[in-house]
Amino acid sequence: MATDTSSRFDGDELRFGLGLDDPRRLLRGAAGVVGFVVVWHLASLTQPAYVLPSPTAVGDAFAEELASGTMTTALWSSVRHWLPGTIAGTGLGVAAGVAFSWSGLLDDVTAPLVRTLRPVPPLALIGFAIAWFGINDAGAAFIIAVGAFWINFYASYGAVEGVSEDLLDVGRTLGVRGELDMVRSIVLPASLPGILTGVRTGLGRCWMLVVASEIFGVPGVGREILRASNNLLVDTVIAYILVLSLMYLVVDVAFRAVQRRVLVWRA
Amino acid sequence: MAGVNDDPMTRDEFGSGGESGVAVDRVGKTYDGDGKPVRALDDVSFGVDGGEFVCLVGPSGCGKTTLFRIIAGLTDATDGEVRLAGAPVTGPTTNMGVVFQEYHLFPWLTVEENVGFGLERSDRSEAEREQRVDEMLELVGLTEFRDSYPKSLSGGMKQRVAIARALAVDPELLLMDEPFGAVDAQTREMLQRELLDVWGSTGKTVLFVTHDVAEAVTLADRIVVMAAEPGRVAEVVDVDVDRPRERGDPAFGEHVARVRELIGAHP
Repeated sequence: MATDTSSRFDGDELRFGLGLDDPRRLLRGAAGVVGFVVVWHLASLTQPAYVLPSPTAVGDAFAEELASGTMTTALWSSVRHWLPGTIAGTGLGVAAGVAFSWSGLLDDVTAPLVRTLRPVPPLALIGFAIAWFGINDAGAAFIIAVGAFWINFYASYGAVEGVSEDLLDVGRTLGVRGELDMVRSIVLPASLPGILTGVRTGLGRCWMLVVASEIFGVPGVGREILRASNNLLVDTVIAYILVLSLMYLVVDVAFRAVQRRVLVWRA
Repeated sequence: MAGVNDDPMTRDEFGSGGESGVAVDRVGKTYDGDGKPVRALDDVSFGVDGGEFVCLVGPSGCGKTTLFRIIAGLTDATDGEVRLAGAPVTGPTTNMGVVFQEYHLFPWLTVEENVGFGLERSDRSEAEREQRVDEMLELVGLTEFRDSYPKSLSGGMKQRVAIARALAVDPELLLMDEPFGAVDAQTREMLQRELLDVWGSTGKTVLFVTHDVAEAVTLADRIVVMAAEPGRVAEVVDVDVDRPRERGDPAFGEHVARVRELIGAHP
């Protein structure tokens, strides 16, 4: 019976949420994409290229940027601040969310600060990014980290709040003593599903923030989008938007595979 | 508390709870209910001798669960004290194996890891811990499910894991709160037989809270009958029926009728 369960999960991992294991779902998805491109093409016939370029023009722009090496350079530049920003923001957000939610004292002390800082959009902090880190990857990573921080902070905070009091009681009767032992052996594993949902949301949000983080001159995919926009090269804009979408998709699929493996125990 | 042990009620009629058993000594609990104090338990005294199987029955609202939590060290008593093997219970202790109604297994751990959870915190060597887990799984007949996660187990199997987990650290007392309340009638009878087998083979002291009178008469050496408002001990009934007990046996029926009458007489 145990082997049945594990084999079912291996099968699930192949699906990746895209319906790859179900030909009918795959077909419907493909039909949706084709339909969208056809409508887009028809609409583009009625508009000038600087308002709505045709799908083929976007394809050409994509190929051109890829062939010239501009696209891969931009992507690599973005990854250089996306990755550290995401890791730092996620790590700090989860740590703070768990700690503040678990500890009533920390929660009381930080609640007014948290409520004051929470509504500040990452973009509003560009001045600090420049002053503290400079116009470089570190400055851009800071903007991304702020975005990742809050998503992970609130997801982890809520997940820890939702841990059943009964499980804590069981832990106590089985010899769990002290806050650290309780957090490590019960609170963290019990809240892991909620924490990982936050991490996953944060990963996507951080690709969106790549554009904002490059607004003050750091090179990358976002910079290319802004540059092309200024020159009314809408086909190039869309080509780079597609790059962001593809990166998001790749990261999300990979993360879901990890998530499924880590949470095999979940019903 | 001076002189409490000399109280003839505690020592004779209710059992001493001496060196290896449990003594519930004039336990009272007052809650603050909307500014008006509510007396949940009043002067509750009884003992469970070492190796004895005692059931606690009573109408809903008689404070069974509050008393269970006080004995487990999860809630403080307002008055009196609970002693386990002569030592006052001041908080959760691994000398007491606690089994809850809703199993509360750790869903992120396999059956084997759930059973070994308390052992991880003991000073046993790894080899001893593994051997102990093997013994416990054998005891509850779940050896072949050792690598399964709780989600794939039936209610009856989950409760067996919970019992094995509670017994793994070799506690003095097995304390159970309506452990078979969440399973169907057939499974309940099977679990009752198994629990008696486990009790017979381990010689543990068992204190078992239930609202099911027939269950109490099936299992117990003595039944502590509680009354409500405030929660107190109405009477302690000896069950002088040979095991295994059959529900069709006239003596069985007489005991059930007697306990029901006691519960009815103290609404």
